[in-house]
Amino acid sequence: MNQQFPNSIRIFVFSLLALGIFLLALGGYIPTLTRAVLIPLTSSQTWISQQFQGLEDFISAPRDVAAIRRENQNLEAENARLEAQIIELQQQLLEFEILSALLDFARAQPEHTYLGATVIGRDPSPFLDYLIINRGSDDGLQRGMPVVSQNGLVGRIAQVSAKSARVQLITDPSVKINVQVQPSQSESVLTGTITGDIRLEQIPQNTNVTPGNLVLTSGLGGNYPPNIIVGQITSVRNPEAALFQSASLQPVTDFADLDIVLVITNFNPVDIQPLIPTPEAP
Amino acid sequence: MISILLSIPILSLVTIIQSAVVSRMPLVQGTADLVMVVIIAWALQRRVKYPWQWALMGGILMDFFSSLPFGVYTLSYLVLSVLAQLMSQRLWKFSFLIQLFLTLLGTMLVHIISTLVLFLQGTSLEILRVLQSITLPSLLLNLMLTLPVYIIMVDFAHQLYPEEVEL
Repeated sequence: MNQQFPNSIRIFVFSLLALGIFLLALGGYIPTLTRAVLIPLTSSQTWISQQFQGLEDFISAPRDVAAIRRENQNLEAENARLEAQIIELQQQLLEFEILSALLDFARAQPEHTYLGATVIGRDPSPFLDYLIINRGSDDGLQRGMPVVSQNGLVGRIAQVSAKSARVQLITDPSVKINVQVQPSQSESVLTGTITGDIRLEQIPQNTNVTPGNLVLTSGLGGNYPPNIIVGQITSVRNPEAALFQSASLQPVTDFADLDIVLVITNFNPVDIQPLIPTPEAP
Repeated sequence: MISILLSIPILSLVTIIQSAVVSRMPLVQGTADLVMVVIIAWALQRRVKYPWQWALMGGILMDFFSSLPFGVYTLSYLVLSVLAQLMSQRLWKFSFLIQLFLTLLGTMLVHIISTLVLFLQGTSLEILRVLQSITLPSLLLNLMLTLPVYIIMVDFAHQLYPEEVEL
């Protein structure tokens, strides 16, 4: 080529080409031309890039899955730990609320001394309403001590062993407690039933007892301290020919959901047995 | 011998579960009697020779946990174990049906003896309410426990007394 075209011609041709390009640029034809060239190039580049990206993902994927799995396991473990922590905290909160309510109850009645106890079981017989608590004679508990909850009367201790005690609930069928209906202040006898209901018997006819009246222990008989709230009257029965009225009672304590109770330890029930005359006695 | 030795921890555990868990999950006023269902299921196992041992142990433990007069559960469970053994010897092919029947019979027996004792102690009883609120719900709960307990006791009996292989 060097031999066929002298340098002057080559310089002329290149100058002519440069001038032509310059004129095309001035005329606005260059962008169209570049677009026509760049579109297929860009498409090719995109396709190649996608293939490369896919290949790269394919090669690096197993490593990422393993990392994700590891991270997932860690998160699951963390989640389980946090869930357990939440349950534990909820349990503590519940316990705190119960203890706080029990403390309020104890503060409201400062004349008594209390010992907290946890309910650890119930009587296996469905015919009896007894609780088993985790305090016994080693903690100073004695038979006959009253047991209360943050709401009111629960029952009294019926049997004591070294580390546990059996509490007879006020719903037990053999229970009889002297109570007082407020505001009429009429005396009555609370009795449990085999089906777990509580009734008031022997309410004098001349007293005004209505649903909603509160029932408190009267202290008569010496088995329970006075003025512990027992429940609220729900209905009154007053047959015409009957000597006494009777009533149904809604206890203030939810016996199905009783976890912690307070034992009143400074109350000694009165033993009236020697005062009951026997046939042999003069 | 191993059977009576094993009965002590097993029945102690079952009685604790009965008092701490089962008795705290009543249906109306009725509760299941897990110990009774276990004793019946054990007595129905063909290779168990002396089911009264478990009945005696379970009954004594339940009497310790209960405020009913001592002997109510022991007597009821002993009667049930004897009945279970007699029936399983004659009708061994229908042992699960016998289990269901004896669970029904046992629930009624324990409840009749309990109410009788409470009646003699001076507790006023309304039989119809007792039946509706206590006995029928208890029976339902006991029957619900029957199948899982039976399966567990069959498996346990197989572990304790493996089949003899003839050579």
